[in-house]
Amino acid sequence: MKHLTEEEMIGHFYSEDLRPAEAETHLRACQQCAQAYEKFSTLLRGVQAPGVPLRGSEYGAQVWQSIQGSLSSYRPVRNRRIFPWPRFAYGAACLLFLAGAFWAGRLWEHAHSQPAVANSEQQTKQRVVLLVLDNHFDRSERLLVQLNHAGGGGDYADFPLRAEARQLLSDNQLYRQSAAQTNDPVLNAALDHLERVLLEVANSGIEPTGRDIASIQKEMNTPGLLFQIRVLRARISEEKTNTHALPKGENI
Amino acid sequence: MGNDDYALIRRVLAGEKDAYGLLVAHHSQSVFRVAFRITENEADADEVVQETFLRGYRKLQDFDARSNFGTWIYRIAMNCALDVLHKQKNQAVVPITEEYGELPAVQVADRAAGPDRILLSREIEIRRHAAMGKLTPVERVAFVMRHVEERSTEEIAGALGVAPSSAKQAVFRAVKKLRQSLAPFWVSHEALNRRRNDRALLL
Repeated sequence: MKHLTEEEMIGHFYSEDLRPAEAETHLRACQQCAQAYEKFSTLLRGVQAPGVPLRGSEYGAQVWQSIQGSLSSYRPVRNRRIFPWPRFAYGAACLLFLAGAFWAGRLWEHAHSQPAVANSEQQTKQRVVLLVLDNHFDRSERLLVQLNHAGGGGDYADFPLRAEARQLLSDNQLYRQSAAQTNDPVLNAALDHLERVLLEVANSGIEPTGRDIASIQKEMNTPGLLFQIRVLRARISEEKTNTHALPKGENI
Repeated sequence: MGNDDYALIRRVLAGEKDAYGLLVAHHSQSVFRVAFRITENEADADEVVQETFLRGYRKLQDFDARSNFGTWIYRIAMNCALDVLHKQKNQAVVPITEEYGELPAVQVADRAAGPDRILLSREIEIRRHAAMGKLTPVERVAFVMRHVEERSTEEIAGALGVAPSSAKQAVFRAVKKLRQSLAPFWVSHEALNRRRNDRALLL
């Protein structure tokens, strides 16, 4: 039989043992444990609290008098708990201000960004047109230079010259049609003149002779056209430079 | 009383500070009782009472309306008393009563008993007081709550902010220490009782 430990006795004394019935049975059966528990419980029962000194009926008032000076009144519960002004009001005002500033910024950005985008798109388109035209005039210029040299007294014209003229002709037709919609008479006139020259070269005989070329130069005034194209190229180059210099802060 | 307390608390929180004076008046006696039982010193107990109601006022907005104000303030009182015991332990003050062998209050079970019994009871009380002084503050509070105030382990644990098993162990350690200190004197106390009983039978 297992005897009760001191902790079990303490637990039993304070009625906090896990198995009180088992401990009680053991104490009835085991004289040794019963004696030990009797001594133990007698000692514990003998430990009595000291008598509490009496405090009069005015004691509470005395305590209150001694502490009330260091206490500050609570604010009314309704204001403090439901809407603790001004803390929440200040926070709400800050939030409203931030939200307003955000929306104002969005509206301002929206109002000012569309023209910028439109301008940007227009400039980009213009830049592409200038680039393509510059390329077209560059090729045309080289062809006209070759044409002028070929017509300088040679007996034949290069076959690739005619092929190049055909390619340039188809491109030039598109550019001329596009340029016709713009209010640029110099460009329109130049493209029109170039188209006639290209058409003449492209439709020249299979093996055009120097005389044929010289005839074209004379009739079509290709040196004048070459000068006209060079002027246009200079203008295009200048416009390209201007479109590169975008206003500050403007996106492409 | 509970409803009255709650009404008073609402008045205090609504800004009526003086209503707290009524709560103090209702509960100051019970708070003093537990404070004295833990500290066993009137001045310390008065200090605990004041500190308890000060803390109670400052924490009143956290008071849960579903709980009992008496229980709530009792817990605060225990913690204040514990703080006083810790402070005394840290300062290692020798109580004047111990130095001169005097007791703040002596609980005599039988005032009609003879002088020998009174003397022995006084001796036991001195030893008990000294033994209580050897307990740690937590052991002392746990023992007073369990043995004197007859609070459950769960209540002790809740008040001390520890697990129930820790509170139970604190009570066990306190009982063991008290038993070791008091057992030798209790033997003579029992012998005297037996002699008195035998004498009464002979007469």
